[in-house]
Amino acid sequence: MRLAIPHQQRLPLAIAALGFLFLGLFLLYPLFNVFSASVLDGEGEKFTFANYVKILGRPFYRGAVVNTLAIGLAATITTILVAVPLAFALARLPVPGKAAIIALAAMPLVLPSFVSAYAIVLLLGRAGVVTQWLQSWGIGFGSIYGAGGIVLVYTLTLYPYVLLPTMAAFKAVDVSVEEAAQSLGSSPRRTLWTVTLPIVIPAILAGGLLVFIETLENFGVPFVLAEDMPIFAVEAFKLFVGETAPNPSSAGVLGVLLIAMTSLVLLIQRRFLASRRFATGARAAPPILRVGLGLRVAASVYCWLVVLLALVPFFAIVVLSFMEFRGPVLHPNFSLANFAALFERSMRPLLNTLLFATLAAIGVTLVGVPIAYVVTRLRSGLASLLDVVATLPFAVAGTVLAIGFVVSFNSGWLILTGGPLIMVLVYTVRKVPFAVRSSSAILHQIDPSLEEASISLGRSPLQTFGRILVPLMLGGILSGFVLTWVTIASELSATVVLYSGQWRTLTVVMFQALEGGGGGIATAAASTLIIVTLVPITLLYRLVRRYELAT
Amino acid sequence: MTGIVIAGATRTFGTVRAVDGVDLAVGDGEFFTLLGPSGCGKTTLLRMIAGFCELDAGEIKFGDRRIDRLPAHTRDIGMVFQNYAVFPNLTVAGNVAYGLKARRVSGAELARRVEEALGLVQLAGYGERWPHQLSGGQLQRVAIARALVIRPQVLLFDEPLSNLDARLRVSMRSEIRDLQKSLGITAIYVTHDQEEAMSVSDRIALMQSGRLEQVGPPAEIYRNPTSRFAAEFMGTTNLVEARALGGDRAGLVSLRPEALRLAADAPADWPQVGGKVAHVEVLGPITRFDVRLADGSLLKVATLDAPHLTPAPGAEVTLAYDPARITVLP
Amino acid sequence: MTVATRGLALLGLILTMLLPGLAAAQKKLVVYTSNESTLNDLVFGAFTKETGIVVEPVVAGSGVVIRRLQAEKDRPLGDIIWGVSRSLLQTNKALFTPYVSKNKDAIPVEYRDPTDLWIGNNLHLLVILQNTKILPADQGPKGWDDLLDPKWKGKIAFTDPANSGSAYATVTMLVDLWGGGDAGWKKVAALFKNLKVLNRSSLVFQGVGNGEYPLGISLEYAGPMWASGGAPVKTIYPNDGTIASMEGIAIIKNGPHPEEARAFVDFVNRKDVREMILKATFRRPTRTDLDLSSLPGGLPPLQQIKLLDYKEDAWTEKRKETLERIKDMIQESR
Repeated sequence: MRLAIPHQQRLPLAIAALGFLFLGLFLLYPLFNVFSASVLDGEGEKFTFANYVKILGRPFYRGAVVNTLAIGLAATITTILVAVPLAFALARLPVPGKAAIIALAAMPLVLPSFVSAYAIVLLLGRAGVVTQWLQSWGIGFGSIYGAGGIVLVYTLTLYPYVLLPTMAAFKAVDVSVEEAAQSLGSSPRRTLWTVTLPIVIPAILAGGLLVFIETLENFGVPFVLAEDMPIFAVEAFKLFVGETAPNPSSAGVLGVLLIAMTSLVLLIQRRFLASRRFATGARAAPPILRVGLGLRVAASVYCWLVVLLALVPFFAIVVLSFMEFRGPVLHPNFSLANFAALFERSMRPLLNTLLFATLAAIGVTLVGVPIAYVVTRLRSGLASLLDVVATLPFAVAGTVLAIGFVVSFNSGWLILTGGPLIMVLVYTVRKVPFAVRSSSAILHQIDPSLEEASISLGRSPLQTFGRILVPLMLGGILSGFVLTWVTIASELSATVVLYSGQWRTLTVVMFQALEGGGGGIATAAASTLIIVTLVPITLLYRLVRRYELAT
Repeated sequence: MTGIVIAGATRTFGTVRAVDGVDLAVGDGEFFTLLGPSGCGKTTLLRMIAGFCELDAGEIKFGDRRIDRLPAHTRDIGMVFQNYAVFPNLTVAGNVAYGLKARRVSGAELARRVEEALGLVQLAGYGERWPHQLSGGQLQRVAIARALVIRPQVLLFDEPLSNLDARLRVSMRSEIRDLQKSLGITAIYVTHDQEEAMSVSDRIALMQSGRLEQVGPPAEIYRNPTSRFAAEFMGTTNLVEARALGGDRAGLVSLRPEALRLAADAPADWPQVGGKVAHVEVLGPITRFDVRLADGSLLKVATLDAPHLTPAPGAEVTLAYDPARITVLP
Repeated sequence: MTVATRGLALLGLILTMLLPGLAAAQKKLVVYTSNESTLNDLVFGAFTKETGIVVEPVVAGSGVVIRRLQAEKDRPLGDIIWGVSRSLLQTNKALFTPYVSKNKDAIPVEYRDPTDLWIGNNLHLLVILQNTKILPADQGPKGWDDLLDPKWKGKIAFTDPANSGSAYATVTMLVDLWGGGDAGWKKVAALFKNLKVLNRSSLVFQGVGNGEYPLGISLEYAGPMWASGGAPVKTIYPNDGTIASMEGIAIIKNGPHPEEARAFVDFVNRKDVREMILKATFRRPTRTDLDLSSLPGGLPPLQQIKLLDYKEDAWTEKRKETLERIKDMIQESR
C-alpha cells in the first residue's frame, strides 16, 4: 500500500486542487446559488421539479427552445460553409494579403454584438440605407428581422471561430498522405474530398461547436433582430432581470436548460472526436498549391469578399460616429460633436475598459495555462473532471454568472460587489475555457521528454514549468492573450449587471446611449473601442506574420 | 561514484506487468545495458531509476541511499533521451549550462565547465548556436554534454542512438563508451540493438516480459545463453534437435553459425553432418549459407570469405562443428 | 527583495486598490437609476455643480436595478433609487427609508406615498407614435380601437410586457377599457395579432423614429424627443383615453450617504429643475405648477387628455398570472 502521492504527480495535483478551488468558488458556487432557485417551491423551502414541469409545459418556451436550436444549427452550418473554403484558400492557395486577411478576420469579435445588430438595422432594416438604395433600383429583399437575419449576422461575426482552427489543421496535414493518395490514382479533387477534408474534420467540428454555443448564449443579436420570435437567451435574461416579472425560479430553469443543452453538445463532440483523432506527423506545412489563374482570382475575390462583408457593420459604425446626431436622430452631416460629447463626460470608461481587459486577460492566462497543463499531462479522472468544469463557463450566459456573483459575494466573508475586482473575476471565469483550449493544443505538441530532461538535470517540476514550458508556449499564450483581451473589451452581458459608479466601461456607455437614444455617443464609443482594440490586433497580425515566415 | 541496487522492482500498467520483480546490482563505474525487444520493460525500468515512473513494489538504491521515493529532480542523474530532448528555446551553451544553474554554479566556473563539456563531445565553439541549426548527431552530442556536465552519480541512456544513421551510430557508441570510462560514471544504457549492446557494455541484462532473462558480460551471454530466447536474441543461431546433429540425447541445442564449417576446412575431430546447400550470400568478409539437413531442418553457416571453398546452391556438402560450442538449452 | 517577494508585494498593492470600500469617504452619492443617460447626465451634472456632491450612477433597466437592490439588502451600496415605476416602488417599500420632501406639497397626493417612503417625479402617458414619412399624418389611427384594424398587421411596434412596466400597463389598461374580463382579453388578443413584440422600449422609439415601423405604442416623451431631433414622428394621444403612469424616487434604507440622498430627493423635484428636465428630455412633471404649453415639446396639459381609471394595485397583484396569459397570447398570435 502506498499512501503517499507519487512525486511526479504532485505538481499537477497541486495545480488541479487550486484550479478546483478557484472554479469552485467563482463558478460553481455562484451558479449553485442561482440555480437552487429552480428546484425550490414558491416559498423557497421545499425541493420540487414543478418549475421544470411548468416551463417545459408551455408552448412559448418550447418554441423558444426549438427556435434557438434551429437558428444555432443553421448558423453553425452556414458558418462552416463559409469558413472552410476560406480556411483552405488561406492555407493552401496563393492569395494576396493573407496575413492582413487573417488579422482582419478577428475584427468582428471586437464589436459587441448588439452594436453590430444596431448597425445592421440601420443598413439593412426596412428603412435601412442599403435597403432603400436597393429599392430605388427595384431590388427588394426579405426582412433582415427574424431567423434569416440572425443567421446572417452570426455567420458574418462568428466565422473566425471556424476559420482559425481549420486553417491551422489544413496547414498541419502531412503532405505525404495527399501524395500517397494521388500516387494511388486519386485526382487532386478527389484527394481533397477523401483524404484532406476528413483529416481536418475534427478541427472544423471544434470550431463549429464554439459557434453553436455562442449562438445559444448570445443575447445582443436576437434581442434586436428577433422581433417577436422567442429566443432562449433573451427570455432567460427577461426572467432574470425583467422589469415587470423577475422570476428567479423560472429563470433558474431556463439557465439550467441552457447549460444542459450546451453540455450535451460538448459531450457529443467529445465522443465524436475521441474516436477520430488523426495525428499526422507533418514536419513542415504543406506547400501552396499551383492552380490556374481562374481559380486563383476566384479564391482571392472570395477571401476578401467574406472578410470585407463581415466588416461592413464596422465601417458603418465608424462612419456614423462622424455624423451629426440631433438627440437620437441622425443627420447626414460631418461632425466631431459625438466624440466631444463622449470625452467631455469622462475618460474613465475608456481607462476602465483598458484596465479590466488587461487584468482579466492576465488572470485568464494565469488560471488557464496551468489548468491546460494538468489536463494534458495528468492522466486520471480528476484531469477529465477539471477539463469539464473549466469548459462549463462556455455554457453559462454572462448575465446568469453575473447575477450569481452578486448574490454570492455581497455579504459574508468575501465582499466583492461595488468594486472592480468582481468584474475582473467574472471576465476571467468566462474566458478561462478559451485559454485552456488553446494552451492544451500547444501543450499536446510539446514532447514530454523535454520536461523530463529538465527534471533529470535538477529542476523541480515547478521550475521546469516556468523555464521550459512557458517559454515554449509563449507565442500561443500571447496570441491567446490578445484574443481574450479583445473579447473582454467588448463584453456587455455580465458587465451591465456588475459595474458600479465610476467603474463603467465603454460597452456600458454604448448600451446606455443606445437605450437612451444617444446614437451619437454610442457610435463614438464604439469607434473608440475599435481604434483601441486595433493596437492588440496589429500585434496579433505581426505575430501571425512572423509565424507565417517561420514555417 | 555509485553502484546501483535494484530489489524486487515491480510495476503494473493495467493488467500488464511491465516490470516484474527485477533484482539487479550494477557495479560502481560499470557500463550496464538493458537489452530486449520493444515492450520488454527495459525503458520502464530505466524510468524507474530516473524517477519518472513509480514502483508498485521493490526499491532502488544508489550506493547505500534509497532513492526510489525521491523526486526525480533530486536524484542527481544525467539522462540522454532517444529524441535528444534538447531545449529549443536555449542555445547549445544554454542547454549545457541548464543543469549547472540548477545546482547554483555561476560565473567563470559555469563558463569553464560548459566549454569543457562541449570540448568533451567535440562541439567546442558551438556554444552560441541554436538547436535548429544542428544535425541529429550534433544534437545528441549536446544532450550528452548536458548530462555529463553536472557530473551526475549515474548516467542513463534511453536508446540514444536509434534516431541516427548506421555509420554515425557505430562511431557515437564508442565515443559514449570512452567518455563513460574516462569519467568513471556508472551508466545504464537501454537499447534493443544487441550489437550495440555488446560493443559498449561491461555487462548486459537481457529482458523479456518484464523479467530479467539473463545477466552477464556480453561474451558470456553470447556464448552460453541460458534460454532459447537469449540464444536467439543475441545474434543469429541455429536451434536444432540434438538428434539431428547425430547426438543421442533428446533436447534443443544452440549452435552458432560460425561454429560450423565445411568439413574440408575443419579440424578432423569435429563431428560431421551432411546436407544440401539451399541459399548462399557472399557478404564480403564473411559468407553465409544455409544447408538443409536430411530431417528437413535448416542450418545457418557463417565462414570467413574463402573463394575456393564457397559452395554452390544445390550442392551436397558435409559440415563439421565445434563440439565445445554447442549449448544445451533447458 | 527577491523577484518573487517584489511580485507579491505589487500584486497585493493592486488587489488592495481593487477592493471596494477602502477609498476614503468623500461627499458623494450613489444613485441607482433606470433613466436613460441623457437625463442622468443632465441632472447629475447640475446637482454636482450646485452642491459639490459627486454622483456615482449605476444605470440599468429597472428590473436589473431592483434585482441588485434586493441582492444587496444586507449591505446596501446605493443611496437612491430613481426612475422606477410606482408599482416597483410600491412592491419594494421594505427596502426604503421615509423622508418628507421639501416639495411634498407641490405634488398631488396620488403621486406620493402616504408614509413618505417614495415620491413621484414624472408621468408617462401611454401614446401611439406615428412615422409620418411612411404613413401620412392624416392616415394614422386616432385611438386604441383603430389599432385593431387588420391593415396594421405587423406594422405596430410594441414592447414585451415581461420586460417593460409601461407595456404591461398598456395591455392591462386596454383589457379594462375594452370591457374587462374575457371580453377585454378577446379584443387584446385581436390587437396582438397586429403587433410586433420587441424586447425593449428603446427598440420601439428607434423603430418608429428611423422608419422601421409606421406605428409604435410608446411612452409620451419619445415623441417630442425624436420630433425635436428632426425625425418625422407624430405623437397621438388616443381619443378613447389613456393613463398616466408615474415614475418616482426613494431613499434606500441604510445607504452609505443618507444626508446627500435627502438633498438629491429635494433637488430633483424642484420647480426650476423640473423645467430644465422637461426642456431637455420632455418628461411630464408630477408637479402641476409648470406651464406646459409655453415650454418646448408642446405637451398638452393633463386636463385636455382623457384619462382612464386604472386599477394599478390590482393589476400589480395579478402580475404573474397576467404575464403568463400574455406570453401564451403572444405565442398563439404568431
